[in-house]
Amino acid sequence: MTVLELSTVSKRYGQELAVNNISFQVEEGCIVSLLGPSGCGKTTTLRLVAGFEVPDGGDILIRGESVRRKRPYERNVGLVFQDYALFPHMSVEANIAFGLRERGVPSAEFPARIRSVLDLVKMPDYGKRSPHQLSGGQQQRVALARALVTQPSLLLLDEPLSNLDAKLRDALRVELRQILTSAGITTIIVTHDQSEAMSLADHIIVMNKGRIMQRGSAEEIYSAPASKFVADFIGQSNWFTGRLDGGRFVTEDGLSIVIAGKAPSGAVELGIRPERIAVRTKGATAAVGVNALEGVIEKTEYLGSTIHHWVRFANGRRIHAVVQNNGQCFARDGESIRVEIRPEDCLLLAPDEQASCEPRRDRLICTDVLAESERRKVS
Amino acid sequence: MKLTRGAALVLGLVVVVYGALMLYPLLRVFEDSFREFIPGRIGSAANAPFTVANYTDLLHPAYVSYFWDTFRIGLISSFLGVLLAFPIAYFVARRRSDWLRRTTIGFLITLMFLSVLVRVYAIELSFGPVGFASEIARLFGETSGSRFYIEFMIVLGLLHYAVPMSALVLIGAIQNVNPRLIEAAQSLGAARWKSHLAVSVPLCARGLLSAFLVSFTLSISAFIVPMVLGRGKVMFVSNLIYNRFSELANFPSGSAVAVVMLVISLVVIYIVSRLTSGDWERAVR
Repeated sequence: MTVLELSTVSKRYGQELAVNNISFQVEEGCIVSLLGPSGCGKTTTLRLVAGFEVPDGGDILIRGESVRRKRPYERNVGLVFQDYALFPHMSVEANIAFGLRERGVPSAEFPARIRSVLDLVKMPDYGKRSPHQLSGGQQQRVALARALVTQPSLLLLDEPLSNLDAKLRDALRVELRQILTSAGITTIIVTHDQSEAMSLADHIIVMNKGRIMQRGSAEEIYSAPASKFVADFIGQSNWFTGRLDGGRFVTEDGLSIVIAGKAPSGAVELGIRPERIAVRTKGATAAVGVNALEGVIEKTEYLGSTIHHWVRFANGRRIHAVVQNNGQCFARDGESIRVEIRPEDCLLLAPDEQASCEPRRDRLICTDVLAESERRKVS
Repeated sequence: MKLTRGAALVLGLVVVVYGALMLYPLLRVFEDSFREFIPGRIGSAANAPFTVANYTDLLHPAYVSYFWDTFRIGLISSFLGVLLAFPIAYFVARRRSDWLRRTTIGFLITLMFLSVLVRVYAIELSFGPVGFASEIARLFGETSGSRFYIEFMIVLGLLHYAVPMSALVLIGAIQNVNPRLIEAAQSLGAARWKSHLAVSVPLCARGLLSAFLVSFTLSISAFIVPMVLGRGKVMFVSNLIYNRFSELANFPSGSAVAVVMLVISLVVIYIVSRLTSGDWERAVR
């Protein structure tokens, strides 16, 4: 069943289109992430769903019912803020009871409901504490409990882990996923952190400049990005500009790379993920059908589990390669090596039209161009 | 704690200035209030005998009613002032536009500078016997000369100070409350007014209290507002003190009224701040 549906929703702040004609659906029990850089419209989308902003165009449906004209408190949507927004003058219990009281749950049920939700977030003994006595991670869990206790149709998480330090973030990410799964609640997570989105969500919606750039599973988005923006935002890539020549891609500075699969016509950009580039000693025999390019290691960064190399080709072009630290000896600075790139690892994309746009003045025009190009792709 | 020489010097200067300009005159008032007054004189004689008659006179119901009126009307107007100022302050504090915020704050401050006589006569003109509002009042069976109507006008006059003053105090308090808290309350099902009652009001408790106390002190010490708008029918303690001193030249009695006023004000303010701040402080932090 579809819990949430946005159809052609737009929101404008002054001259700026914060959300530009976006549509998507979220199915029951699904965890969807809105991923994008700051200012891409993901938080505005969240606030539209929560009811703190009213869309200028389009409609928002929760369980098939339009909530366009409904106030935030008339929608059954749970919300966890980036800064948690726990009521500082109330105990943890009172914070959780607030929603129960406002939603008209009989007060006899309060203790049991509070206990079970505190168990769910693994904080059974913290009911009497005050929010300021809790650590960031604990506050986060209480905020989650407060949002979950009323059993909303939909849970919205705004940058849930960004206020925590790196170590805690990793631990809480796993736990958050467990809590969401055991609560079985339909969730939208807004984040700018790709690893957060990829580990928490079943489905990722990548946004930029108020538009949806791509949607799909983490794997789909990473391995088959629809645009240079997506490829760049999720993971890193080495980019080459050039043209297609039969089954080869020829860069402006003379590199020739064998590619696989279909490629868009016209000007093309080639992206290669750093971890898909193999670095081999010159003497080793190359596999058949693999691009082999000779170069010199210019710089090496030893990061423990991975080793980063910057390789310079004869024409001066640099490429970034990441190899797993498997304990075997690795190339050193100044060493002449050969990089190997499999044709199927080449991402061929049309250059981003928006890249040439002025960010502010031409925003509308530039998104229109994008819409046009998307329409062309579809047809 | 050890005082450095510089600090001692500055502190000493403050003590001297305060002592000479505030404490000594107050002590003179205090002393005079215990002197016997002989009618026909201006003030008490230099060596008049000590007496408590100036104080016991005040127990007469006629005097008690001055105090009752002052504190009752002062309480009503400062309470209303805070009540009206809260939405104004909220509006100003939550504006995104810097320009709008600065303009409104500037407007509130300008309002404070407006001469009290201008305000009082403006109220008199629009609400007094010839004003438009008295016509409306007549529809409800109130005449502009009735006691209720006069008290209403005095409250209006006092609100001219209580509202901007409270608003200015509250703007700071509201700015310190995280706006997400209101949104959190709304997302949990509380309507807007209810989320303010449950979140903004308790979190602004200290601001509300200071706003109330500032308005209250301004109101109970008002002089021109009750003098003009009260039309002799309603008088505040300050008007009584003025009468004693300047019209009757009975300095000892005027001093006694002033001392009683001072003591009651201090006690009321102490009680109000103790009653509320203790509870709220524990709750808020």
